[in-house]
Amino acid sequence: MPKISFKNFSFRYRNLVAPTLKNINLEIKQGEKILIAGRSGSGKSTLMHCLNGLIPFAYNGEIEGDLLIDDMQPFKENVFEISKKVGTILQDQDSQFIGLSVAEDVAFVLENNNIPFDQMKKDVMSSLDVVGMKDFVEHSPYELSGGQKQSVSLAGILSSSADVLIFDEPLANLDPASGKNVVSLIDELLKKTDKTILIVEHRIEDILEKSIDKIVIIEKGEVIAFDTPEKILSQNILKEAGLREPLYIEAMIHSDLDIRNLGHLDDIDKLVTKKVKSKLVNWFDTATAVNDNQSKFSEKLLSVENISFAYNKEEQVLDNVSFELRKGEIISLLGSNGSGKSTLSHIIAGFLKNKIGKIYLENELINSWSIKRRGCKIGVVMQNPNHMVVKHMIRDEISLGLKAQGCDSETIESKVNEVLKICNLWGYRNWPVSALSYGQKKRVTIASILTLNPKLIILDEPTAGQDYRTYTSFMEFIKKIAHMGISIIMITHNIHLALEYTTRSIVLSEGKKIADDTPANIFSDTEIIEKASLKETSLGRLADVLDVSKNKFIQHFINYEMENMHRE
Amino acid sequence: MSKYGTLYVEGNSFFHKLDPSLKLLLFVLWAVTVFMFFDLRVDFVLIITGIVLLCFSGIPSRIIKTLFIIVISFNIINSIFILLISPDFGVTLAGHKTIIGHIWGYDVYYETLFYVLTISLKYISLLPVALIFIFTTHPSRFASSLNKVGIPYKLAYTFNIIFRYIPDIQNEFKTITYAQAARGMSFGKDEKSILKRIKHLFNIVIPLINSALERIDKVTNAMDLRGFGKYNKRTWYNKTSYKKVDYIFFILLILIFASCIYLRLSLESKFWCPVFFR
Repeated sequence: MPKISFKNFSFRYRNLVAPTLKNINLEIKQGEKILIAGRSGSGKSTLMHCLNGLIPFAYNGEIEGDLLIDDMQPFKENVFEISKKVGTILQDQDSQFIGLSVAEDVAFVLENNNIPFDQMKKDVMSSLDVVGMKDFVEHSPYELSGGQKQSVSLAGILSSSADVLIFDEPLANLDPASGKNVVSLIDELLKKTDKTILIVEHRIEDILEKSIDKIVIIEKGEVIAFDTPEKILSQNILKEAGLREPLYIEAMIHSDLDIRNLGHLDDIDKLVTKKVKSKLVNWFDTATAVNDNQSKFSEKLLSVENISFAYNKEEQVLDNVSFELRKGEIISLLGSNGSGKSTLSHIIAGFLKNKIGKIYLENELINSWSIKRRGCKIGVVMQNPNHMVVKHMIRDEISLGLKAQGCDSETIESKVNEVLKICNLWGYRNWPVSALSYGQKKRVTIASILTLNPKLIILDEPTAGQDYRTYTSFMEFIKKIAHMGISIIMITHNIHLALEYTTRSIVLSEGKKIADDTPANIFSDTEIIEKASLKETSLGRLADVLDVSKNKFIQHFINYEMENMHRE
Repeated sequence: MSKYGTLYVEGNSFFHKLDPSLKLLLFVLWAVTVFMFFDLRVDFVLIITGIVLLCFSGIPSRIIKTLFIIVISFNIINSIFILLISPDFGVTLAGHKTIIGHIWGYDVYYETLFYVLTISLKYISLLPVALIFIFTTHPSRFASSLNKVGIPYKLAYTFNIIFRYIPDIQNEFKTITYAQAARGMSFGKDEKSILKRIKHLFNIVIPLINSALERIDKVTNAMDLRGFGKYNKRTWYNKTSYKKVDYIFFILLILIFASCIYLRLSLESKFWCPVFFR
């Protein structure tokens, strides 16, 4: 008997006309590890909510067909009964950390189930032991990194009786190294216990690093594929569904390899046979001389000199950081949480004042400039668009900055129209902001800054939570802005983003700048990768197996992708 | 701020060990006593007792000093206002009038000065117990203790949730103000016009509400999914149980409070304002 079975299952939210899930048929066995992938809005979260009981408990709607977990029909039970069988780890590590300390958070589910104190204490310790967080019992959430919080949430679920575990985008908001740890942790867990694991995630390449039994692909509310990773990868289904294929698979497609007939697609070591190797090396040999991106940018825009910063005497957050930025350049700022990335960007924007070090914008010292004055030249786009949007209507939102400057209505009108067109928002100009998708809201926040004619825009995790297709179109838009001569600094954990869209990366570790180089060079340097909590890409591993220079291989891949994208 | 992002300061004093519900009772009875009397002598006794108790609480003197300075300055400002707005208020209360000097042509009454002194000391006498309650009580233990004395756990747990998310909300507030200031809508020193500052302050309300709603949604889901509200009762990881010392403290507290009530009833007028000279 399957652990979970959907039969001709459909679901429609009460306030929507069309069903979000259509005719789902799935059978998942006990102990299987399943990856569920699909574009934003494809219905994958809805599917998980049907399993963990938030539908219909928190979100109501109309259900057709059957859903069984063991012999339980979740829709006939309440959310609490379901929670005995299904445990969920949500995407937002902060909001789901309810306890004031690690122990309390793990105990939360036990408390609610009236487990006596002594038993509770024992269970908390043993669950923390499984996830390797035993030494952190009395820590508060503010002393933990994102990855550690994720582990605590996992321990919380382990202390319950649930044997189906749902991970809702567990890697979002984590730095690459923590993400890798979480993936290994889930893998070990499966080996130690007999739990059934469902992972919803965009970052397919990262999840596939450890073995997965099956992948479910959802597109427009329907299951369009349900098969082993090997089969899915060989059929080019990911790309059709608007998802990103692992980079090593893309490299093989570029080398004209027919991946349908190769075995072991999910294992780089076994995959690279002699024939595969010669094809890949041939492709690599077509690499033209390393193209020098730097020479394109000549005019200096920003120069940061010897900045040090501390909130208090004990902790040095930034230690003698210097770098330069040229006009029209897109660079990425990398490093683990707490490495000083945000502090550095806040100092550049003037939110924080540095006592040590100098900042020049267009050769003018701006240390003494106020936030407001800097705001005319330096725009900051926060990660969460909801932190920025103030007005109900798009046009009002975008014109707000100009109004605050006291411009006349004609100037505002023409500037706003121009920006709306640049940002592909012209068609929505009379819409309320709330009717837009996440990606579109993000564009509105950038538009509202573009009206001020900034020279530099700082983007904090610009592509978080976006699927491959929206990611690509969003980044092409950013490139367009950069072509207008605006420089861009992106703070990100996304390796793909740094590799493909930035010409240079600055890496911070414990407040010090440890690298300032092309992304290809950075992601082939194991020492920097380790220090900055980054992670090697599958391309690096492929280059290892091929026995060619890592950085040249990665650079060739990027150049090839960019050339082809523009040809299309 | 402690490592929990709350005001709780870890320690091992008598008050740290005392059951939180008793600390709350102490604070409530203390406040009732303070407002029951209008008597400088009682204020003095309470302040001295309070300070002695404070010495046993193990709260860092740095915190105590800062808060005392804040409360005393508040009282000075308060007193000045009383003296300016109703210079003869003490006279009405005491029922006699003594002029002890003149400032800018106004009479200064001894009774009002005495009244202002009494009321200031009243507020100050509340401070030590308030500090003890706030700084030695772990929010979770407080919640579980409230539940123990019969407060529904859903209500008691609210304290936990509030303390848990205060620092998060502070951070969010900071992010939002930064984002708006960078767009030229500061409400800090940056903006010279006060009117504009106020206008800009309103602009952060919407994002703040939006992100609060977003958070409430997420937190409720997270709590539902882990079975909060499933049963009428729940157990507590940070549970507290009454010990011998708690019972003794409780009995003493009730006895002292009872004698305070007796004392109050045996006093004739509420406002004690002795006449030393006339």
